[in-house]
Amino acid sequence: MTKLTSPNQWLDPKRYVVYLGFVLIFAFFAITLADDGFLTTRNLSNIVLQTAPATIMAVGFVFVLSAGEIDLSFGSITAVSALSAAVIMQEHSMLAGIAAGLGAGLAIGWFNGVMVAYLRLPSFLVTLATLGLFAGIARSMTNLRSIPVVNDTFTGIFGSGSLFGIPSLILWTLGAVIVGHVIYRESRFGAHVLATGDNANAAQVAGIKVPRIRLAVLMASGFCAGLAGLLYAGRIQAAKYTLGESDLMIVIAAVIVGGTALNGGKGSVVGALVGSLMMGMLNNGLILMGLPVSDQMIVRGLIILIAVAISLRDNTR
Amino acid sequence: MKIRNLLAAASVASLLLGAFAQAQTVGPSGESATPSSGVTVGDDKIAALKAGGYKAALLWHDQSDFVNAVTAGAAAEFQRLGIEIVATTSAGFDAAKQRSDIETALAKMPNIVLSLPLDAVASAVAFKEAKDNGVKLVFLSNLPKDYKHPADYAAIVTDDLFQMGKQAADALADAMGGKGTVGWVFHDASYYVTNQRDNAFKTTIENDYPNIKIVAEQGISDPARAEEIANAMLLKNPDLGGIYVTWAGPAEGVLAALRANGNKTTKIVTLDLSEPIALDMVKGGNVAAIVADEAFELGRAMAAAGARALIGEDTPAFVVAPAVTVKASNVEEGWQLSLRKDAPKSVKAAK
Repeated sequence: MTKLTSPNQWLDPKRYVVYLGFVLIFAFFAITLADDGFLTTRNLSNIVLQTAPATIMAVGFVFVLSAGEIDLSFGSITAVSALSAAVIMQEHSMLAGIAAGLGAGLAIGWFNGVMVAYLRLPSFLVTLATLGLFAGIARSMTNLRSIPVVNDTFTGIFGSGSLFGIPSLILWTLGAVIVGHVIYRESRFGAHVLATGDNANAAQVAGIKVPRIRLAVLMASGFCAGLAGLLYAGRIQAAKYTLGESDLMIVIAAVIVGGTALNGGKGSVVGALVGSLMMGMLNNGLILMGLPVSDQMIVRGLIILIAVAISLRDNTR
Repeated sequence: MKIRNLLAAASVASLLLGAFAQAQTVGPSGESATPSSGVTVGDDKIAALKAGGYKAALLWHDQSDFVNAVTAGAAAEFQRLGIEIVATTSAGFDAAKQRSDIETALAKMPNIVLSLPLDAVASAVAFKEAKDNGVKLVFLSNLPKDYKHPADYAAIVTDDLFQMGKQAADALADAMGGKGTVGWVFHDASYYVTNQRDNAFKTTIENDYPNIKIVAEQGISDPARAEEIANAMLLKNPDLGGIYVTWAGPAEGVLAALRANGNKTTKIVTLDLSEPIALDMVKGGNVAAIVADEAFELGRAMAAAGARALIGEDTPAFVVAPAVTVKASNVEEGWQLSLRKDAPKSVKAAK
């Protein structure tokens, strides 16, 4: 099994920026908002619930970036998947709806992957195009209408339910992060993804089927976006073309702050989880501070800029 | 005495006419409208409200001049009543984010929430917890599905949408001398606010101006495409006397098309204030008038409705704030009336 991390990397402070940032921001809000409900169990669990779809998208995105590619279309995939599931469930069973939602995600991921891996088109341009393409399809699927999701079992599993007292959205988040982390760190596939992102030519020479890896990571991203779509549909009990539209920047920031390199070859699924929670915590805390919306955006932007700058600073340049 | 009687008769008539006009804007569930001026909290109630230590959250759908003016109106009224605003959010038109914003704001335990529900279906779930906790909900323009007044919400407050469309028709007809052909650029989406305004324009032209014909109708869903749409409309109808555009964003594109065609005669009317549109108007360009809502008053009425519900006073289910027709001659007053802000410097300088 190939591991592409050297002992020196573990001493690199940049690896821990996200954890340090998370602790600092948490401590700041815990002190300043102690009387404003920030530390209540309800509020803290809200942060995890609210970030669940973005965290799951981030897991897929870690694989894509680590392989040296990018996927800008996952927000549109989320909307198409949620709408597919909601529309199918109006006439058919819940299982058919879930299959439609996840199938749509996988299919769009496959489409992106074929374009990138076998037609050798740059993933940035392909997914920029499919971002618009599938945003348009999501709008036309239901003529801009939102579709209610009334299946209680579905909304329980993917939104408001719980198992042994743990909300289902937290279970999905944990499941996706654990599965993603194990595949990323412990499997041959994960090693091949990192090798491809580190140096695609060297990986090819070493016998790794680079196009297949590129196809697989974009399909994984599509699948994760599809699952995020189901979680959104379950959580708000409706599907709409706007779902996932605003997640692109949040997910990219979460993944980069979480220690994944923009140009591939390095990354962390657990870091992406912490990055995503950090973004959610920032949103939550800045609202509870009572700041006007513009000020919330400015402060959030500055904090993300600082975190990304520290995460990406390359001493060799 | 006779003059006084005449004045009294005239004011009764204008009240009746006003009521008749108001009645034509109906709520999302067919509710009849109450003018916002009738939704107030008397000074005698302030002490009780201040003693209550009440809190409010403003959970908006987006950020804009309009939202800022509504916020300013609500904030002024809340301040008068001693109610603290503890959270302000913007969902960026994302129903999922609005759900998160509501959950987050509830941590501060507000007693009143003012919000524009982004989606009837999703919002019904999103506001449920707030409703169940006894928070007084005052909605801007839209209503979550199956919510009933007064059990589930204190009031819906919106623009007098019919009046906005009607005043736009009257202003365009005036600019065209009561005759000619018109293009109707409407919002091609199932959206209560724009649909009512657009249809009111069309109905008024068809019913009140027999010498004006709507010869071109074009829906628009993406404001960025307005210029192309206007170009196509002008190609087929080069002698259009006027164009109605559903709101100011796409009107900027229509104006660009007219300028590119060297057209200085086709008049434009649109809804909602915009600096480039107003600038063209005061410079004597294509824009004849802008019809705006009194957004500040709308925010004030929302806050007052929430406060009334809090102290157990009746609230009307559906409240409308008045519309104002802004022309070159009253642009500065119009800006103040609508947004409680000075008109932009460029607009004032061009007068």
